[in-house]
Amino acid sequence: MKATLIRPQDIAKPSKRLARIRPEEVPPLPPPYEDFNSRTLTELKEEKIANVEASLDGTVAIGIPKPKTREEEEKYLRAFLAGLRKLFEKENNWTFLQPLLLSMEYCAKCQTCSEACPVFEMSGRQEIYRPNFRSEVLRRIYRKYIKPFGGISARLAGDIDLNWTTIARLAELAYRCTLCRRCASVCPIGVDNALITHEIRKLFSQEMGIAPREIHDKGTLQHLRVGSTTGMNPMAVKDSMDFIQEEMEEITGYKVEIPWDQEGAEVLLLHNAGEVLAWPENVGAFAIIFQAAGISWTLSSEELGYDVVNYGLWYDDVQMARVAVKHAEIAKKLKVKKIIIGECGHAHKALTVIADRVLTGDLNIPRESALVLLDEIVGSGRLRFDPSQNDFPVTLHDPCNVVRAMGIVEPQRRILRKIAPKFREMTPHGVDNYCCGGGAGFAIMSGYNFAEWRTLVSSRKKFLQILGAFKDEPLNVPKYVCAPCSNCKGSIRDILEYYQARERGHIYYGGLVELIVNAMADMKRPMVKFEENG
Amino acid sequence: MRIYKQIKLPLHVRWELYPVKHEPGKKAEYGGSYMEELNWWEKEKKSSLCNEIRYLVPEILFLWGLKKENPRLWYISFPFHLGFYLMIGTLGFLALGALFMVLGFPIAAGQGVLNSSIYYLTILFGFIGLTLGTAGTAALFRRRLKDPALRNYSALSDYLNLVFIFVFFLISLLTGLFHDQGFDGARSYIYSLLTFGGTPAGMAGARTFLGALSIVLGSLLIAYIPLTHMSHMFMKYFMYHAVRWEDTPNIKGSRIEVAVLENLGLKPTWAAPHIGADGKKTWGEIANSGTQEGR
Repeated sequence: MKATLIRPQDIAKPSKRLARIRPEEVPPLPPPYEDFNSRTLTELKEEKIANVEASLDGTVAIGIPKPKTREEEEKYLRAFLAGLRKLFEKENNWTFLQPLLLSMEYCAKCQTCSEACPVFEMSGRQEIYRPNFRSEVLRRIYRKYIKPFGGISARLAGDIDLNWTTIARLAELAYRCTLCRRCASVCPIGVDNALITHEIRKLFSQEMGIAPREIHDKGTLQHLRVGSTTGMNPMAVKDSMDFIQEEMEEITGYKVEIPWDQEGAEVLLLHNAGEVLAWPENVGAFAIIFQAAGISWTLSSEELGYDVVNYGLWYDDVQMARVAVKHAEIAKKLKVKKIIIGECGHAHKALTVIADRVLTGDLNIPRESALVLLDEIVGSGRLRFDPSQNDFPVTLHDPCNVVRAMGIVEPQRRILRKIAPKFREMTPHGVDNYCCGGGAGFAIMSGYNFAEWRTLVSSRKKFLQILGAFKDEPLNVPKYVCAPCSNCKGSIRDILEYYQARERGHIYYGGLVELIVNAMADMKRPMVKFEENG
Repeated sequence: MRIYKQIKLPLHVRWELYPVKHEPGKKAEYGGSYMEELNWWEKEKKSSLCNEIRYLVPEILFLWGLKKENPRLWYISFPFHLGFYLMIGTLGFLALGALFMVLGFPIAAGQGVLNSSIYYLTILFGFIGLTLGTAGTAALFRRRLKDPALRNYSALSDYLNLVFIFVFFLISLLTGLFHDQGFDGARSYIYSLLTFGGTPAGMAGARTFLGALSIVLGSLLIAYIPLTHMSHMFMKYFMYHAVRWEDTPNIKGSRIEVAVLENLGLKPTWAAPHIGADGKKTWGEIANSGTQEGR
């Protein structure tokens, strides 16, 4: 039985759970994955969620403590309204004031955006995940409680009550959107619901100090304090890199020297430090390519200089600016000509596009995507390739931040066309791509049952796309999903593991540089290895 | 006021969304940017007005984006919008005709090629526009009421807006059909505006109650639209040119850098402890302050 349609004003009405995902309403997976079609989100134990807000949809991203007294609740409400007011003040929100005002005021509520949203579609069209749902909640609160004549406005343009339930659910709901901006790209007017989501997150963080632990406490705070969101200090990262250096020679037979803190190098390469821990071969592959191509490059061992991530992009402009300034200061100190951003999508956008209007003077050091430099290296003929070494089906995942938000679409494709003879596109791809489901922090958020929600809902469309790209290949043929972004790679790893795609469909994943090295004729041994199916 | 407010807003961070249609060549189609070029900052930034126009003309005239993404809605939204466009055209022809009359050239059938053309084009644009507008508004009202996805987000004002527009289109259409087939009464009204109250010879009888009501409703509509979200027709310019396609890089010494420096001098008051704002420190100082614990 189809559930009653949830209205925007229903967010204010206390209940045990506002929305519930039903397996029978969710788009099904094809064979041999049908047995996953009946899977549901694991119920959270009552004692685990007794003291936190968990009444939205059966999962928890933040875990905001429930107020214990009426005064505490009112304090939350006052802080929320103060923050909402600040979103519309230039002193506080010059960063996004114009885009926010335009998206708040000119939506025609035609719902064209909904069909573009993978979370809405893959949840079985849960009303609360409709891109316009949370925007409409915010618009109604703004009109009723901030703008003049709020009472009249509520009667004419839509009413909503403001209470603890409203704001706590809204905070959680801001973490059910991956900020992929597919909704914005199809809006006939240009309204950006993902931006409104971003601004809601910002209000909670910058005014109320509320954000998921993984992206704030263990994210930007740890990044700025220790040097990396992974918790690695400079000594730990250098040790890991020594190990990677040795490993590369062992794997490929090619001896590589990783340069550190080389003042005056042309290129400062900034990696997502997650690669060092989870995918060391990616870091090693970069070193092999740069060395073989004769690039003058260096890594930095200074705090933050070995971790290009910038989680502030997803929720907090101040934290974003602090991290970006640190990255620029390190590059300035090393006197490099440019910063090259490794395979990390959100770092691409944060440091290249967003920070472009934060960094000035000597800190405005040119920043470039590694994909562009790699394209030049591969296309220049400086390296010898034997594409037959990549003689397996390859599909390409487009990270939203690299493609839709930056317009870097062709370099990675030119590379693959040259080194991967069995490259095939996903449908759709390029700027029309679907998010991996791990965008805007989701890939690193795993508290409560959130990782399961991500795999079942926000990453489901990507899994269907991957299966679609390989649909004409026999199940037992090894296949490679190329994801040139750490967070995307993380969520693709998780979906392949959850749905047992390696065992059932021989589907593997990795970055772009690994494929490039695998095709290099001078490597004694292959870098990409597939395990026996089974 | 709305346009003035937009122009006065501070420079925001870049938030472009590709494809950016002023990119040259194929980039505008597949969504590529200047950042695909090696050392792009050393090259001259190219921009294609031709690509932009090729996208904008069908988008503005035919709502191409809506047709592609939401064809079911386009079939009723397009007649509605086309009705408005044709009414703007009609208003233009009426104003032109009135001006001719002020200058002593009558606007009617058989009064020379130019005068007759203005006369017939007014009728053509007017009747097609009013018919499409009436039908489109009624269809949009029905869709908003019937489609749960639209109804769930529609408020009283959304319905009232459509009713208001529908009443304007319908009354004007009835006026045209039964009282003013040549739009002479409407032209006579504009003539009187241009001449501060004058009436063209022999036109006193062209003024009717329905005609006057149409003019009042039309005038109110023109005044009302800028106060509502329906002004997206004009604000779309800012949506696209100030946000979606605003990809100007911050070059040292440029006007962008000047504006950024101005913004970095603003003093925020965000209250979360980790921000460390006190209303005295600037954005620039806060961004340079490194970590602020204290959550």
